[in-house]
Amino acid sequence: MIPLTVNGRKHVVHARGDTPLLYVLRNELDVMTPKFGCGLAQCGACSVLLDGEEVRACITPIAAIGHREVTTVDGLPARWARQNGHGNGHAHGDAHGDAQAGPAHPLHPVQEAWIEEQVPQCGICQFGMMIKVTELLEHNPSPTDAQIKEALTTSGPSPHLCRCGSYAAILDGAHRAARLMAARRAAAIAAAGATSTDTGSGTSGSAA
Amino acid sequence: MNGPDTYSVFGAALSRRGFLAAGGALIVTTAIGRPVLSMAANGDAAANSLDAAVPASWIEIHADNTVLIRTGKCDFGQSSIYTAYRQIVAEELCVPIEAMTTVISGDTDRTPDGGGTFGLLRTNVLNLRKVAAYTREAALALAAQEFGVPRADVTVRDGVISGGGKSIRYGELVAGQRLDLVIPTSGEAIGFGGLVVTGNPPLKPTAEYTIVGQPLRNPSIPGKVSGETHWVGDIKLPGMLHARPVHPATLGSTLVSAGKVDGKLYPGARVVVIGHFVAVVSADEWEAVQAADQVAAATQWTEWKGLPGHEGLFAHLADKVDWSEVPARKGKANAGAPADVLAKATRVHKATYNVPFLKHAPIGPAVSLADARADGSVTVHTHSQNPQYLRMSLAKMLGTGIEKVVVRTYPGPGHFGRSNGGNAGSECEAVLLSRKLGVPVRVQWMRHDDMQWSTQSHAAIAEIRIALDERGRIAAYDATHRSPPMQDDRLIGAVLAGLPAIDAPKAGTTDFIHTAELSIADNWVYGNVPNVGEQGLGTYQVGQRESPIAVGLRDHSMRTPIQFQQNFPREVAISEAAALAGADPIQFRLDHVDNERFTVILNRLRVESGWEVRPSPSPAHGATGDKPVRGQGVSIMLRDNGYWACACQVLVTPSTGEVRVERLTIVVDPGIVVNPLQLKRQVQAGCTMGISEALHEEVGFDAGAITSTDWLGYPILTMAELPEIKVVLAPRPESGVYGQGSESANALAAPAIAAAFFDATGKPARRFPFRPEYVKKMLEG
Repeated sequence: MIPLTVNGRKHVVHARGDTPLLYVLRNELDVMTPKFGCGLAQCGACSVLLDGEEVRACITPIAAIGHREVTTVDGLPARWARQNGHGNGHAHGDAHGDAQAGPAHPLHPVQEAWIEEQVPQCGICQFGMMIKVTELLEHNPSPTDAQIKEALTTSGPSPHLCRCGSYAAILDGAHRAARLMAARRAAAIAAAGATSTDTGSGTSGSAA
Repeated sequence: MNGPDTYSVFGAALSRRGFLAAGGALIVTTAIGRPVLSMAANGDAAANSLDAAVPASWIEIHADNTVLIRTGKCDFGQSSIYTAYRQIVAEELCVPIEAMTTVISGDTDRTPDGGGTFGLLRTNVLNLRKVAAYTREAALALAAQEFGVPRADVTVRDGVISGGGKSIRYGELVAGQRLDLVIPTSGEAIGFGGLVVTGNPPLKPTAEYTIVGQPLRNPSIPGKVSGETHWVGDIKLPGMLHARPVHPATLGSTLVSAGKVDGKLYPGARVVVIGHFVAVVSADEWEAVQAADQVAAATQWTEWKGLPGHEGLFAHLADKVDWSEVPARKGKANAGAPADVLAKATRVHKATYNVPFLKHAPIGPAVSLADARADGSVTVHTHSQNPQYLRMSLAKMLGTGIEKVVVRTYPGPGHFGRSNGGNAGSECEAVLLSRKLGVPVRVQWMRHDDMQWSTQSHAAIAEIRIALDERGRIAAYDATHRSPPMQDDRLIGAVLAGLPAIDAPKAGTTDFIHTAELSIADNWVYGNVPNVGEQGLGTYQVGQRESPIAVGLRDHSMRTPIQFQQNFPREVAISEAAALAGADPIQFRLDHVDNERFTVILNRLRVESGWEVRPSPSPAHGATGDKPVRGQGVSIMLRDNGYWACACQVLVTPSTGEVRVERLTIVVDPGIVVNPLQLKRQVQAGCTMGISEALHEEVGFDAGAITSTDWLGYPILTMAELPEIKVVLAPRPESGVYGQGSESANALAAPAIAAAFFDATGKPARRFPFRPEYVKKMLEG
């Protein structure tokens, strides 16, 4: 019985400690956005954040996670809300409803940018792409083309691979996400100055 | 309304099945079967449950003015069935795009037509376009009755039908009724091409289009990005077991003895053996993964060495294969007497070109879930590009009727044609295990299963001879293309288990897809060449007949199949012939094309790409050392009514053999651009895949097995290598046809990069990938 915190929720899971996180997320917790791609940390389809650092869930045993919080694409909306002071940042619903019930918060700017820029083709790699770009933008709010390429190629255990060839769209998506995040933060600051109540004004900068 | 209960609309039969207290719909079906009509009356198409033996409707118009369409094709991310199909049907019905609320795709019990997911805008959408035209005409006929005016006085616009000073919406027309429109079709849903809608309903002139051409977003993206979409690998059933196959040691090994599970380590796992098919199952997926590794190590297979190895492949194809076993095919453009002209010519370019085996290489390996029940029925949850053909193949394997098999489809990893003959790989194995064990079984191939046990895009060699006349123009072009066959759609699980499967590709078959004969698929574009001779020579799959389990290197069509393999040699040879003539490669092409659409896009390409007008090789060629040298190259192609031209600028580092693509410019005239937003993304992505193929890709194999088992052994392009890609759409709407997008785009990069390499170095590049080990040989050669 190992405790795991996933997308703001605490769980105790039954799987053995050597079980890779990917199998526990998908089979025990019904968190389905991390995808099985290679099982070898060679592609990035299974990427998740551990306290903000991108790791490959397919080779990360749950015993090695400790107190660090796991964030998947399902948890990005709540993560963004929490970072910007909206609510407790916990997704609504029980553990088995997280993936199906729809986000309890507006989409993370990275997700929104992925829609705005029509980034995915088949989309199987994009969960990992969005996780990696989120990690990048949390550290570097205005990256260059070269920095985005570096993040998705050489910064982790392997490049994040896309077979459909959506790399040009991912570049567009990452830049748009950076602009959206900046606009949201500016709008939130302006709103906080205007009123002290939490009205979810983080969406006021939406380009949608 | 007082009309007869059944009457004819351009050969389709319109009838009123009854009146309803609520709802109402016009439902368009095929004569060979009827859906359960109540499914549409409540507007809840997703909840209906049809008899698996009965095709569903094509189009439904509901009382609330919404329209549902169904197609047996499956989207793999390029979005055409969710964007272009909706736009084209909306045009034909003359309804707003917003009315096109629902697209149901793929599932064999919920879609009518079957057929493979290819040629979506070339041929397939014509089915739905015709269905929509029949539907519009039926609605107009009903409205004319309603208005009491002649049909000729009735018009439709934005979903409103008008005539005799009255008007009515589609929804009002069908409200409270159950109307059936039965349309004529030919073929069968489980045939390779599926049903074809016949007859000639009047089609809306494309010049009147207003919705086609708009940059409609792909409605399937939000669910994929938020995580709400259910992917093929996400489907679970109560009591299901996880399985991992233990595939044979080589592509020709037979089972000697299956290993046993170490029960202390893996108490919940067990081995299943069906013929030469071995698998490990467990309720716990990670246990299944580990136990399968342990069992694989303990399983004995016979040795087999029946493959030439990838290093010996081209010599094998050139010297060892008997190309007279399979009848030759001639090119459609053959003209004049190329052999005579070549024999007398003083300036001849003659060379051999090679294309390696390629992998479709989806990011996610094949995964399927099968539920075989005691009554002999089975439902398979998978991601197929031809679900009805898979249904037929599974029924054949099981020795049962197709009515027992349902295939449900879900979004999955793109695999670029690999399943357009039904199976992507694991479906049959899931079915066999579920039937044997009596519970639902999910088979997730591991990365090595997908690399080693899936099909590949076929290799090819070509000998090309080009004779120049005294003016430096092409007097004769002669090409002999040789390839193993394009497509093997046998279910691998059936083959391993020794159960019935369709035939492997062979000579002398009337099956136009599963033939060993090789067509000339690269449409000839140089109409000003007076003497042309192209022939295709086919053979059997490499190692298949030598394999005791009849496997070997199985092939399958992948983006731009056969044309990819033939366009590379042709376009590289044309660039080399231009150099022999001392001509600029774009100008040389302009001098030989006879179609004005190519003239327009080549001139556009010259401007958009920043092309330096001069012959190849570049003045800087022949440099050595660490300083990169720059080159430019061009390629053109005609496919599916689309005219394509591509220029690449590359950097070659002579000392290391590194080839980097700096910039790719592509100009496409697809005729009508249905959706510029999606087409641009499709072309960008297709070009990127093409660069990946050119720089990196080749299936490695030894004497018995594929050695490209993972992403280290089969590298693909990374983000850091992405060049600047410029997509130029050059529509010609007056052509009245829709050209295709992403599939074609992937084929243009490799020949343009090879030509640019030649331009930079003066050394011909007659194969790819441009991996340093091959580049060094080219530079020495």
